[in-house]
Amino acid sequence: MAGTVKLEKLGKPGVFIACDTFADAAKSAAEDNAMPAVRIRIISAAEFYRVRGSVSEVMPLAERVLDDLIDALTIPLTANETGTQKKDEGAENAVVTITGESFSTALEEFNKVFLDNLWGDGLPLVPPTPERVKWMLSGTSRSPYEIVGKVPPKQGMATIEKIAINAVMAGAKPEYLPVIIAAMEALTDKDYDSRHILLSAGSFSLMIVVSGPIANEIGMRSGIGFLGHGWRANNTIGRAVRLATLNIGHIWPALNDMALTGRISPHTFFTFAENADLNAWEPYHVTQGYETEDSCVTVATIGVGRTFYGGSIGTWTAQGILDRIVQNVLGVGRMMFGSWGTKGVGDIPGSGGGVTRHLIILFPAITAELKKLGINDRLSLQDEIYKKAVVRYEDLSPAEVQSIQTALGPGYELAIPPEHKHIFQNSLKSGGMVPVQISPRDINIFVAGNAPGDATGFDYLRLPPYKPTGILTKKISGATLTKNGRK
Amino acid sequence: MGKELLELQLMNPRGETEPPPVLAPNLRIKDIAGKKIGLYSNSKPGMDNFYTAIDQLLKKRYPTMTTSVLKGSFEIRDEEAKAFASQIDAFIYAVGD
Repeated sequence: MAGTVKLEKLGKPGVFIACDTFADAAKSAAEDNAMPAVRIRIISAAEFYRVRGSVSEVMPLAERVLDDLIDALTIPLTANETGTQKKDEGAENAVVTITGESFSTALEEFNKVFLDNLWGDGLPLVPPTPERVKWMLSGTSRSPYEIVGKVPPKQGMATIEKIAINAVMAGAKPEYLPVIIAAMEALTDKDYDSRHILLSAGSFSLMIVVSGPIANEIGMRSGIGFLGHGWRANNTIGRAVRLATLNIGHIWPALNDMALTGRISPHTFFTFAENADLNAWEPYHVTQGYETEDSCVTVATIGVGRTFYGGSIGTWTAQGILDRIVQNVLGVGRMMFGSWGTKGVGDIPGSGGGVTRHLIILFPAITAELKKLGINDRLSLQDEIYKKAVVRYEDLSPAEVQSIQTALGPGYELAIPPEHKHIFQNSLKSGGMVPVQISPRDINIFVAGNAPGDATGFDYLRLPPYKPTGILTKKISGATLTKNGRK
Repeated sequence: MGKELLELQLMNPRGETEPPPVLAPNLRIKDIAGKKIGLYSNSKPGMDNFYTAIDQLLKKRYPTMTTSVLKGSFEIRDEEAKAFASQIDAFIYAVGD
């Protein structure tokens, strides 16, 4: 829709075609882009997706919609369409009053009203009374009025107070608030593609990983079942971030969140802590430039997950698990060569395609076993996977070679950064071994779980559609109730 | 005497927004005949087939009209938008969703 409005702003009359399933999203986006009366014409999603495979199949649909499109371009605008008065929605009340004959009925009414207003996630909520929100805010030294960032698509302002209100509704405790705030700082960072994770038809989800000493202090789970239920810190931190994005960004399924199957783990995302007690390596955030004693949150967009095995079901070796990880990185990477040089989904050439970012969660015991293979830390494991996930130049198709060469060209500096270009320039020749990753650092490794453990992983685009990254680490600060996360 | 109602004061969780300005669309063209119509889409599968069909139907009905077909990013980039707008009289925009 933004593109349609952009062309209208350049003086050209236009019409936007949307499938019926995206009709509400198109209207909402028209408002967000300052042209609510932009002309939109609707076609049947069920029919379009079925017949779009060939011109002959799609022709009957085109014939039926043609008059509508011609009318949209030629019939004069109505008075309503030419009006430029802002829609008067009225300011929302800062405080909402709910009544009931008993606490039980008031609680039920509160949940009904909030869900009717699209202010929830479908599960029962904790009432955000001013007292409860004040209690939540006692967990941070930061001003309630500080704006952390804006949440798409409505660019709602994420103030510390609004984050605290949502944290109350999620059932979080005040000592979790600094973690929740740091996660929201990452999600609303100018470089993080929150629009894609929060709104895309691809049903992506979010990984929220806490590393550093605050994790133990607030009781985060990092042992067996760390991605599961039953852990108040993990579950309500994730739920607070989920509610904050929904409510601050004004997001609702099929209205502007077009995740076709919904987002996996929709209420709590994938929220866990690195296992500081059993992890033989330095914490993840140290590899991101932070100090060991810092406490940090890493937020990463993720797609589907997979296991690399381990556990109690069968015997495992570090070499066997490493081989499976390499095979996966190689297999996924090989499929993506053809999209390295795409024009790009968003403003950035190559965006929305190209190289995959891997997010791998290892169980602690494997770090000790990897030492026997000469792999002593996270960086050396990244290097090992990177070195092995290569394809012989002779095995690449001409189209794959062309795609990589396009990404080496001008304009694609974010797709293949200048410092990595020589690797591909040198390998794209006879006898060359071409890495499927741009950099070893695109293979992100976390350590969580216990013994027995299971190695698992997720992946996502290294270069998302609309912003430069889908992973960011932020330092936790402003904590008042814990020894860690204060500065 | 009725039973006293319990009252819960609750804080609004929604993010405050700044309503964007409201712009009106451009005046429409009077007729398609003799005009150049831009057909813009992203690279989602099937949009090329749909636009080929629309292109053929438009030209059959208005033999003097022409089209300019452009495939690009989800949101047309600034430079492309300027160049595209300079060539056309009106446009159809679709992203295959």
